[in-house]
Amino acid sequence: MWAYILRRLLYNIPVYLGIIALLMVALRVNDPVWGFLGKNADQEAYEVKKHAMGLDRPFHEQYIGFLGELATFDFERESWTQQGRTVGDLVADSIGPSLAITVPAMALTTLVALVIAILSAYTRGRLPDKFMMVSAVLGMSISFLVYIIFGQYWGAYVLNDRLGTEVFAIQGYESGLANWKHYCLLPVLISTIVAVGYDTRFYRAVMVEETNRDYIVTARAKGAGKGRIMFVHMLKNAMIPIVTRVMITMPFLVMGSLLLEVYFNIPGMGRALYKAISENDFPVTEVLVALFAGVFILTVILTDVIYALVDPRVRLQ
Amino acid sequence: MIRRFLGSRALRKFSRDKLALVSLVVILLYLGVAGAVGFFGFIDREDTTDRIGPDNQVGWFETPTVEQRIHALEFYLDQIDGALGRRDPAKALAAIDFFGLRLASTDPDEVGETLDEVAEPFDELYEVLEEDAFDDDPANEERLGDVEEGILGMFVEPEGGAGRFRRLALAFGTDRQGRSILLRALYSIKVAVQIGLVSALISVLIGTLLGGAAAFFGGWVDAAVVWLYSTFSAIPYIVLLMVLASMFLGSSYEGTLVPVYVAFCSTFWIGPCRVIRGEVMKLRELEYVQAATAVGFGRMRVLMKHVLPNTTHLMFINFSLLFIGAIKAEVILSFLNLGVKNEPSWGVMINQSRQEVISGFMWQIGTATFFMFALVLAFNVLSDALQDAFDPKHV
Repeated sequence: MWAYILRRLLYNIPVYLGIIALLMVALRVNDPVWGFLGKNADQEAYEVKKHAMGLDRPFHEQYIGFLGELATFDFERESWTQQGRTVGDLVADSIGPSLAITVPAMALTTLVALVIAILSAYTRGRLPDKFMMVSAVLGMSISFLVYIIFGQYWGAYVLNDRLGTEVFAIQGYESGLANWKHYCLLPVLISTIVAVGYDTRFYRAVMVEETNRDYIVTARAKGAGKGRIMFVHMLKNAMIPIVTRVMITMPFLVMGSLLLEVYFNIPGMGRALYKAISENDFPVTEVLVALFAGVFILTVILTDVIYALVDPRVRLQ
Repeated sequence: MIRRFLGSRALRKFSRDKLALVSLVVILLYLGVAGAVGFFGFIDREDTTDRIGPDNQVGWFETPTVEQRIHALEFYLDQIDGALGRRDPAKALAAIDFFGLRLASTDPDEVGETLDEVAEPFDELYEVLEEDAFDDDPANEERLGDVEEGILGMFVEPEGGAGRFRRLALAFGTDRQGRSILLRALYSIKVAVQIGLVSALISVLIGTLLGGAAAFFGGWVDAAVVWLYSTFSAIPYIVLLMVLASMFLGSSYEGTLVPVYVAFCSTFWIGPCRVIRGEVMKLRELEYVQAATAVGFGRMRVLMKHVLPNTTHLMFINFSLLFIGAIKAEVILSFLNLGVKNEPSWGVMINQSRQEVISGFMWQIGTATFFMFALVLAFNVLSDALQDAFDPKHV
């Protein structure tokens, strides 16, 4: 087991080195210092800023330096746009709001999608199934942004207007469990509505595929009822791809739902990255993307390991 | 080859699927409009940037409210008033042209006289509206009609083809800058098809070649390709899009389609690459491939002529999926201010309509969403049908 984990880790080291190289090149195509200071900036100020960031050194030195920073978890770089705040501070402040949205959203989406998928697979080919699958395809054909715009319009503006009190905040965020419903419930609902179509289709496909397997035929032959086959035999086996899918979405929990955060002005990780990129805050952008990629790789490894534990067919060799 | 395709099981199965055929027709229709706009100039760029009338005018099946009517009149009055204040009023009046809607007379004195006549009752009505007292007196409705007649009577509607074009352009209302929503939405078809075709085509091409080569040659080629796609896919998709698109900020490519192409192509090739690699892994073990090798064909020839053609169905399915992906991702890039800026696109329109929705004006978001919805839905149905038709397990 440990050997397997270790091997997966070693295998991903060159991948991570590649990501960092790709990221550093992409962020240096446009001179980040000119981008931040503006085209008419003073040459001297430019040199000072460039030197302070170490951007005047050769690329390989910068590369090794940045890898060193990441390897020692040194997030002390100061933001260019927010004086006196380090990247570490930014991450510490924004991870909470992100999780407050994404964790409930993922739980709710998975639950709703599973229930619909089971119903759909159970009534396969008949009216409820057709209705649900058509709705899923219709829903998938509308842009995420449209859901957000109308979600905010009906959920916040119209609803508040009708009821006379503010049920959902139009935007913004305050920490604390008491404020959660006010600020986060609406984004969570919107994100669930958007994601549920994709997940339902996937889970349904998984279950339909399971229905064609031999063990289902066996179960049917020995006289098991439809419900028993569905919930006792099939769901257990269908759990493997389902667990994988849920695991795969884990890294996105950390990143937060970037669009929702930007639209609803929720100070999470996604919005922090968006602000860093749009305000040319180079040190923050570089570290945040590198962090996301690192978390992503770790979860992928974790998924592999869990997969190997859940599915006896996967060998650890 | 063609005869074999026409008689194939997949085509028979596909053509039995009525919904898929309908979606194919819809897609062809969109391609036709895109071609008409792109190659024959059915809609000029100017048609999508010029003012056609007052801002946020409603479309054909909604009757404008009193506020909207007065707002429109105010707009026309301001235009005339502004022109009269110029150094050469006659020339400025003659320059007033909203898609062929011109002033009947461009003589400053005459126009000034008529303006004075209608301005007074208009101001009164405006005040009544301000005080929220419009509905108190039923005569107000009539007075508004008179003022409308007076102000709009100063203009002459274009006739014939130009008149029909103007009415068509106004059919779905105007946006916040008084531009025609329908023309912008139609022009966006060209932009969407362009983005979809280029991104999906290049991505599928890169993915197929890399994935095919990786699986077929194995060894270090495989290791390199797997490393490459693991690297690209380890950065969350939307973050990679943002980083890549922001590379072009400040350069002369900003706002054009180039950053969009680069961002999409470098993220989208991963999907087809994975799928084709998996398929070729299976194919290369088959006897016909060994036979081709035994006959003495070169490795490259076997890959290009014998193996990759057998992955065509996967290319089609992936193309269709990536086309949808590109159109939807374009909206997101526009929202993040990293997308198209020089041309109208559905993303630009949806993004612009954020403020309008709050004030209850739905025409722009509705139109853009509808046009996008029909195309994406058609591609969704087509992808499903293709997957069904090419799936040998289905009968």
